[in-house]
Amino acid sequence: MNYESCDNRRGEVLGRLLPALIPAALLTLLLAALAIEPLPWRLSWTWIPSLGVDLSLYVDGLSAQFLLLIVGIGTMVFVYGSAYLAENSRRNRVFGLLVLFMAAMIGAVVSDHLLVLFVFWELTSLLSFLLIGIDHEQEEGRRSALQALLVTGSGGLCLLAGIILLGQIGGSYSLQTLIERAPLFLEDVRLNAALALIFVGAFSKSAQFPFHFWLPNAMAAPTPVSAYLHSATMVKLGIYLLARLDAAFSELLFWEYSLVSIGTVTAVLAAIQTVRERDLKRILAWSTVATLGTLTMLVGLPGNGAALAVAALFFAHALYKAPLFFVAGNLDHGTGTRAIDKLTGMRRYMPWTAAIALLAALSMAGLPLTFGFIAKGAIALAKEQAEALLLVSYAAVLVNGVSVAVAAIAAIHVFWGRDRSPLQAGLHPHEAPLAMLLPPLLLVILGLLFGLAPTMIDPLLGAAAHAMAPGFDQTMVTLSYDFLAVLEAMAGALVLGGVILLGWRRLGLLMDRFRHLEIVGPEAWYWRSLVLLPRLAARQTRLLQHGQLPRYVMTLVSVATLLVLALLLVARPGWAWPELHSLTAPVAGAALLIAAGALVAMFVRDRLVLLLVSGLVGYGSAVLFLFTGAPDLAFTQFAVETVFVVVVAAVLLRLRRTPLALGAVPTAARLRPLALAVATAFGASLTALVLLVAGLPFDNSLAVFFSEQSVPAAHGRNVVNLILVDFRAVDTLGEIAVLFFALLAVLPLFKRFGGGA
Amino acid sequence: MIWAIALALGIVIAAGTYLALSRDLLRCLIGLVLLGNGINLLLFTSGRLSSSLPPVIGADEMVLGVAANPLPQALVLTAIVISFALLCFSLVLALRIIQLAGSDDLTRLRAAEPTSQDAVKPALEEES
Amino acid sequence: MRSDALLAQVFMRSLYPLLLLASLWILLRGHNAPGGGFIAGLLAVAASAAYALVFDVASSRRRLPLAPVSLAASGVLLALLSGLPALLGGLPFLTHLWGTLTFGPVELPVSTGMLFDLGVYLCVWGVFGGYCLALLRSIEEIP
Repeated sequence: MNYESCDNRRGEVLGRLLPALIPAALLTLLLAALAIEPLPWRLSWTWIPSLGVDLSLYVDGLSAQFLLLIVGIGTMVFVYGSAYLAENSRRNRVFGLLVLFMAAMIGAVVSDHLLVLFVFWELTSLLSFLLIGIDHEQEEGRRSALQALLVTGSGGLCLLAGIILLGQIGGSYSLQTLIERAPLFLEDVRLNAALALIFVGAFSKSAQFPFHFWLPNAMAAPTPVSAYLHSATMVKLGIYLLARLDAAFSELLFWEYSLVSIGTVTAVLAAIQTVRERDLKRILAWSTVATLGTLTMLVGLPGNGAALAVAALFFAHALYKAPLFFVAGNLDHGTGTRAIDKLTGMRRYMPWTAAIALLAALSMAGLPLTFGFIAKGAIALAKEQAEALLLVSYAAVLVNGVSVAVAAIAAIHVFWGRDRSPLQAGLHPHEAPLAMLLPPLLLVILGLLFGLAPTMIDPLLGAAAHAMAPGFDQTMVTLSYDFLAVLEAMAGALVLGGVILLGWRRLGLLMDRFRHLEIVGPEAWYWRSLVLLPRLAARQTRLLQHGQLPRYVMTLVSVATLLVLALLLVARPGWAWPELHSLTAPVAGAALLIAAGALVAMFVRDRLVLLLVSGLVGYGSAVLFLFTGAPDLAFTQFAVETVFVVVVAAVLLRLRRTPLALGAVPTAARLRPLALAVATAFGASLTALVLLVAGLPFDNSLAVFFSEQSVPAAHGRNVVNLILVDFRAVDTLGEIAVLFFALLAVLPLFKRFGGGA
Repeated sequence: MIWAIALALGIVIAAGTYLALSRDLLRCLIGLVLLGNGINLLLFTSGRLSSSLPPVIGADEMVLGVAANPLPQALVLTAIVISFALLCFSLVLALRIIQLAGSDDLTRLRAAEPTSQDAVKPALEEES
Repeated sequence: MRSDALLAQVFMRSLYPLLLLASLWILLRGHNAPGGGFIAGLLAVAASAAYALVFDVASSRRRLPLAPVSLAASGVLLALLSGLPALLGGLPFLTHLWGTLTFGPVELPVSTGMLFDLGVYLCVWGVFGGYCLALLRSIEEIP
């Protein structure tokens, strides 16, 4: 019995681990491929030839680095999630979405075609929405999910516009082709607009100012999702695109200034915001935003060193931030809270987690012998090479100080802080299961390994840097670490970090005094626009959908008039008014009858008279048809008009006797000047159209065809009837079918007329 | 000849539009009739008024001689019949609406787009 | 009953079949002279409407060969069927075929095109006849 349940348990754990096989298999495949096949890899299939969209893949060092992160961190996230989500009823959905997300991310970083990349890009936004809102019964989750979707989605629209514009300028949507051709169109005036649009897309995706606010709110997602999407992979997609395009546009001042300034502003703002938070996960989120800002700044910095720094920071960040997120998840799992005020002295209950946190924090603080140290060194060198502004350097010190403080909070405060008897605070801390310890442990060990022996990772970093800065040479990697400069900067950051750590609570309170400044912040504008947009939409809908038929007709007729007039104006050079010919008496009489009937109809008040007068117009048309060679039309018009007038007159006469107040609208016969003006303009424009069309040359070939074919092909002599019955018989069949349906459609209405007709 | 017809059809279309812009449901319908008439004339003249002889081939001939263009006639013939069907349909619909709503004032027919009670949406302004 | 109404009824009784005969004649001559299914159908509609006005809707409806909806449906169906023989001969749908039927000394030209036109005629009669009768019926209850 006991054995059996133990077996069952083990089987269950293994079963939950099954999804992790997918990223693990991909990781193995990727590592094997990297070992065998030298970069870059190219593959291409024709996908939509009519649009020139090829499904072409291009994997160079940068893509390979991202692929490693996607499947590597992915594997860890899947293993971790198998235990973290064990009790979660939506576990299967989370894993399903994560697999899809992984596929979309892979697609985004291997696509060479910008539009294909865009499709995958949007897919990741959509999946992020679904994953943040996975707990859709919580309002918080729904709001955060929607916010992330709206911010990244509207950024995505700008990105699409930017991509299309860039494609137009460069004459290709292939990233590699664009990078090759870039020197040819750097002077194009449209380029800045295209890049600005792409910036909006990339900045919203990578949580850069002023779109940064969605990322901390996205922490509503389960921790594995946060670690994967909102720290390691998806939020770096914007930086990825910028890094890709850096090879083409790094020489532009607009490029450099935009990225450096926005990146720095983001990093500083995020560093300041970090101090205000008390929730460990949100603290980590803000520090992620700060790192993303630093990355953006580094992409903007010119020089080969900057490219290497980007590559190194990409990697280092993934190797320490993901474990820290896992640590936050373990704490949440073990104690039920993430509030740093409640969490102290946890090392006694969660020793393994404490060790992981410490190792990750060392790397995050950038202490020697860690991979974070190497990244910091590369950054310092990059700034030196690029002769960055002093202001940027000061900002970097502040950001580094805060990141040291965050590392200390996560490792020292939470685990080694003075034990305030958490058991009394209602927490029952316990260590996380193995599946939640191994993944972060593996990652921090890798971080240490690469820190101790950077040569293991150098080829990959070099390849990635080469993709960003084509001038980068593989041999530069090992020469690029300037440890002395780092140590110098490190000392300042450590001191500052210590101060911030000690004053965390007081600094937070101080910041909170300025919280009224938030009403001018970007997030406030987001909420304001959420209120204003529906109002605007409602107003605009009311303007167009007012529910009043006369005004709808007015809009339709006005637009039709304008279209006809525009057409006539375009054709202006070819205007030729027809000559005045003598009139035959019947035609003149018919025209007079039509015009007179129409004019009287406009102003007559009695409806019966109105009906008769409209009949006059019909009879006038019939006479006109008769004397212009169309007896068939004349007979048809006569018959229709007679039946209509007689039947409707009978109806109207009878309705007059009912209490139903027909014709009671007093204004009906009053002159309506606006309506009259619109009507006159419409009539006049069509008269002009008819007259001007009459002057155009006429293609008579159809008439000739019917004239010649009637007797031999259709065995008849009345050409009009033959067109209807023979040449265009299918059309006529359609028409009588329509007539039939018109009768069917109205049958239910008849049935209700005073009980069954 | 084209001038007379063009002017007449312009007047018919203007009158039809003017009536269709009315608030009175039945006037609207008659406006539709006139508009249809005007457009039929427009269609008819677009095939040119080449001859006043009907397009019927003589008993001992194989090819149509000088005659009016048959193609617009075929088009207009179907148009007359279809617009008659449309008219019948609208008439029945209109009578039914009048019976249901107890009014033939188009600005009072509010079943499909009722006056909004929503705080966000501005109320419809009533035509005075 | 007033004498003028009686006079109208007597007149209508003889006019109705004449109108229908005329409509048939217009239908048949439509191939070679002005006329055809649409015009003939409308003439038949006029006859039905007039009959309903002079007598009442119910008796006019009894004079129709079928109920209006069935009449219209049979018209559409007939037009549809007239296109099928062409398919059997491997020709496109609604390609009309011609032939002559010989009854002793009388030779009648027949074609699927005539069947098609007959379908148009029946459909127009059914649809607009149905509309007119229904409209007139809707006011019959009003005193």
